[in-house]
Amino acid sequence: MMLWRQFAMEWRLYSRDRVAMFWTMAFPVILLLGFGTIFRDSAGPKLTVVRVATLAPGARDAALDQALVDLQLKVVALSRAEAETRWARGETAAQLEPDGEGYRLRLNSYLMAQAGATAGLVNQAWLVAQARLSGGPEPLRIPIQVESPGRKRSANYASFLLPGLLGLNLVSMGLFSVGMVNVSYREKGKFRRLAVTPLPKWIFLLGQVLHRLTVTVVQAAILLLVGYLVFGIANQGSFLNLTLIMALGTGCFMAFGFALSGFAETSEGYAALSNLVFFPLMMLSGVYFTLDSAPVWLQHVVAGMPLAPFLKALRAVFNDGAGLAGHGLGLGIVTAWGLAAFLLAVKRFRWA
Amino acid sequence: MSLPALRLRGLRKTFPKVVAVDGVDLDVAQGEVFGLLGPNGAGKTTTLEIIEGLTSSDAGEIEILGLTWARNGREIRSRIGVQLQSTSLFNKITPRESLDLYGSYYPKRRSTEELLRLVQLEEKADAYHITLSGGQQQRLALAMALVNDPELVFLDEPTTGLDPQARRGLWDVVRSMKAEGRTVVLTTHYMDEAEALCDRLAIMDHGKVIATGTPASLIADLAIPSVVELTFDGPAPEPGAFATDLGLAVERRADLWEIPTPDPKALLPRLLESAEARAVPFQQVHIRRATLEDVFLHRTGRSLRE
Repeated sequence: MMLWRQFAMEWRLYSRDRVAMFWTMAFPVILLLGFGTIFRDSAGPKLTVVRVATLAPGARDAALDQALVDLQLKVVALSRAEAETRWARGETAAQLEPDGEGYRLRLNSYLMAQAGATAGLVNQAWLVAQARLSGGPEPLRIPIQVESPGRKRSANYASFLLPGLLGLNLVSMGLFSVGMVNVSYREKGKFRRLAVTPLPKWIFLLGQVLHRLTVTVVQAAILLLVGYLVFGIANQGSFLNLTLIMALGTGCFMAFGFALSGFAETSEGYAALSNLVFFPLMMLSGVYFTLDSAPVWLQHVVAGMPLAPFLKALRAVFNDGAGLAGHGLGLGIVTAWGLAAFLLAVKRFRWA
Repeated sequence: MSLPALRLRGLRKTFPKVVAVDGVDLDVAQGEVFGLLGPNGAGKTTTLEIIEGLTSSDAGEIEILGLTWARNGREIRSRIGVQLQSTSLFNKITPRESLDLYGSYYPKRRSTEELLRLVQLEEKADAYHITLSGGQQQRLALAMALVNDPELVFLDEPTTGLDPQARRGLWDVVRSMKAEGRTVVLTTHYMDEAEALCDRLAIMDHGKVIATGTPASLIADLAIPSVVELTFDGPAPEPGAFATDLGLAVERRADLWEIPTPDPKALLPRLLESAEARAVPFQQVHIRRATLEDVFLHRTGRSLRE
């Protein structure tokens, strides 16, 4: 009964705190909608070829243009002058232009990755166009499909971002909703006021923990729902595995915030300390982008911090429908951080 | 008199740099309003926090309503009411919610309506805490100290930082606590508050109790019932030769001299004569009754307000 009252009051006060509501409930959704929409490109990126217009286009030109489009190339048709300007700006990777009786393909040496791939497709298109003109059978092609690796259902960036935001929510909940609140309660004497009442301390603390836990569940549910309704992102793995991972992360990051709050005397001090932890964790752990192109030593460092292995396991389950088996080490690292933080929190915790 | 409400023996607390409480003995009878008077840093708050179970003591015995912390912690907490020096609540909690919530922590509780009426917060019962004035917040803190219908109430500097009108309002609440038969232990550094509210006082300085008694007896013990004050237009000069002439102690304050005397009538002609002779540029002469301030000054050589 006491616990329920404590819990209900936490929720009532929380629901009146518009700033906290915005940051915990609305902000992650805004991030997801914003980035998800900006980087929405469900068919995957297309290769572009600049096509310099022929003065008197014939059947051969028409057939080639059609073949280029059929091979999934994005064709930008420009006059020679316009094409030269674009080329000079360095934006063109590959430019197909009339040359005497035939064609010539100019490739930008600075953009060889796109230019090379485009060249292959242009040559295939040329073969297709010739076959069509002669009425012969089309040459057999190996089909090409452009997609982002590791994403089964969708190449949408939103499906990469969503698990990242779920993880980030847990970190900010631990550092700010748990850690910051602890410091300010201690600083303002709220703990002392409680200490002179017969309320058992564990009821107060458990009420707090249960409130944060339910906030996390609501927050995750909203994100998952928006992800599903707007971007069609759904959990590919088992719901049990997802719940297990989220529960582990919640425990780990709550303990993390609790432990950190023992190292600051004032709210200002804690704000500095928590941001010092929060920003590197957020930027380096693969919340918004993968670290595949980062230096190897940095990847090793990050893999030893709690958020990166957590997100890796979460994405494996959520995006790729994998089990937990392959992520024993990563989840072990998360658990170790959680346990260490918990022990430290118990050791450093002060009511006043 | 039955069991004392509070009994302290040899209470001692040392912090790394200072001895905060240095061997305090106190007896507070049931039903009285007892004051701990002293300047900031005298050890009043630390003493109170040790009694309330917030701070551990290094040595000494504490009996609260005949109970001890070691054996009856939970029962003590259920039977005492505490107002801390700063009670911080959430900005967006209402007095009604605060009283309901804190009331729910106790086995025995007073009705929220009754408490709101007692501290005259009925109109603000459903307003957010942040919209209450300093005096209203402090009255709420007193109401919260009464949610469990306590036998013994501790108030730590209940009126510090309030305007005179708000202070009067709080005094009324404290008087009603006494009228209801509760024992009240309060700390203050306002001597007028101590005189107005307290049945008995302990004057504290540097962690020690330097005098105990009723306000009237403490003043009477001074044996100098009156003080003659000479006020100056600007900072008071050094008394020097003037004091030698009179053969009395002359205390120099910011803009006045204070001369404690058992017989102001006899002193006055001599005093005016000397002042004339030494060309002392005073503006006015006042004769006043000695106060607790003078008691403190006499015992410590320092002013309460310093």
